[in-house]
Amino acid sequence: MTDVAKEQCETADIITYYVVPLRADPILGQLALAMVLSLLLTVPAFLLDDRLFNGANVWLKPIKFQIALALYFATLTVYATWLPEGVMRSTKMRVFLTAVVVATIAEMLWISGAAMFATASHYNPVPLLYAIYAAMGAFAVLLTAVSLVLGMAFWRDRGSALPAPFRLSLALGLIATFVLTLIAAGTLSALPGHHVGTPVTGATVPFMGWSREVGDLRVSHFLATHALHVIPVIGLAAMALRPPRLARLAVWVGTAGFAALTLFTFAQALSGRPFI
Amino acid sequence: MTAELLFSVANPVALLGWIGLAAAPLAPRAVDKLAGWVLPGGLSLAYAVLMLVHFADAPGGFRTLADVQALFTDVDVALAGWIHFLAFDLFIGAWIVRDSQRQGIAHWMVLPILPFAFLLGPAGLLAYMGLRLIRRRGTAQNRQATP
Repeated sequence: MTDVAKEQCETADIITYYVVPLRADPILGQLALAMVLSLLLTVPAFLLDDRLFNGANVWLKPIKFQIALALYFATLTVYATWLPEGVMRSTKMRVFLTAVVVATIAEMLWISGAAMFATASHYNPVPLLYAIYAAMGAFAVLLTAVSLVLGMAFWRDRGSALPAPFRLSLALGLIATFVLTLIAAGTLSALPGHHVGTPVTGATVPFMGWSREVGDLRVSHFLATHALHVIPVIGLAAMALRPPRLARLAVWVGTAGFAALTLFTFAQALSGRPFI
Repeated sequence: MTAELLFSVANPVALLGWIGLAAAPLAPRAVDKLAGWVLPGGLSLAYAVLMLVHFADAPGGFRTLADVQALFTDVDVALAGWIHFLAFDLFIGAWIVRDSQRQGIAHWMVLPILPFAFLLGPAGLLAYMGLRLIRRRGTAQNRQATP
């Protein structure tokens, strides 16, 4: 092996083997890394581009998706390290995750391509582009389904070394993410836009861009998708409770409470009222 | 204004890589990293960002020669095109140096080819390909040295 080839291998080794979660699940981990790296394109584009779409820089939306997906896949990579060895290595899982990689890339190309041409990636009025948007909806369900699949795996893993309330919170948090996101995002995509009502002054929550005047369905989408962060934190806190029965009950109550909050913001937006 | 600024930054960046390649025997691995990966990578990133931001609104296209000419009337696309040259020429330059090291070709023989690869891209590549052909036919000793 030449020196140059050897050095290239060493660089790859550092990335592949020394970052522990990546070793636990290379596909999800590399996907998270790819989302972070792709910000190298969109952040400079955001700074250079002065074109606006719906009043915001055209690149804001791809950046939001890149950050959200990076966080999502990084979280799932870490969670996957707590599953039994075989789960992530099974052929079925490999095939499923490969499909997720394809869906993620297609999704990001679509959203970034729309930004490049300063057109709508969601709710595009051109028939062909609307058809692509619909296909992207199916891909989005596939992405979200990773949390369902991991959630089910935690639910079934009765021999887990994890403290019982924490394992329960991982299972419930991941499954809730899928169910709630499907409700929130599914409704969002079936309606003509994310606003319920017509904004007049255009007042929004900083960075998030949620309307402060009318109903905005993106609030419940955001909460739904972060169930996989919030509910495991509830699970960690519940571990302090004794007896274990009470700790498990606390996780169930916490999950129900967070789901209720999400559904409340969902109903709030549908009735045309702003979140704050 | 931004285009002029980026242009004046991109040129010295590429030049740095070429100076490195000329002095490659002093630090072969470091030069290969710099001129074969880091600098062409950075230039390619700049190209990609420029195209993402400016290509959609530029006139012309790729279908006819007139379209391509029209495309390059857009200052930002012209800048992207120039950076494309810089990035790819440098990458080829780094390949030439790397390949010559593997083939055991003396650096002084490659040195006169580098300015051609820098300023006239394909002409430099052609010159190196010629050198390789001559060397392979000419020296049996060289063939034995490389597996």
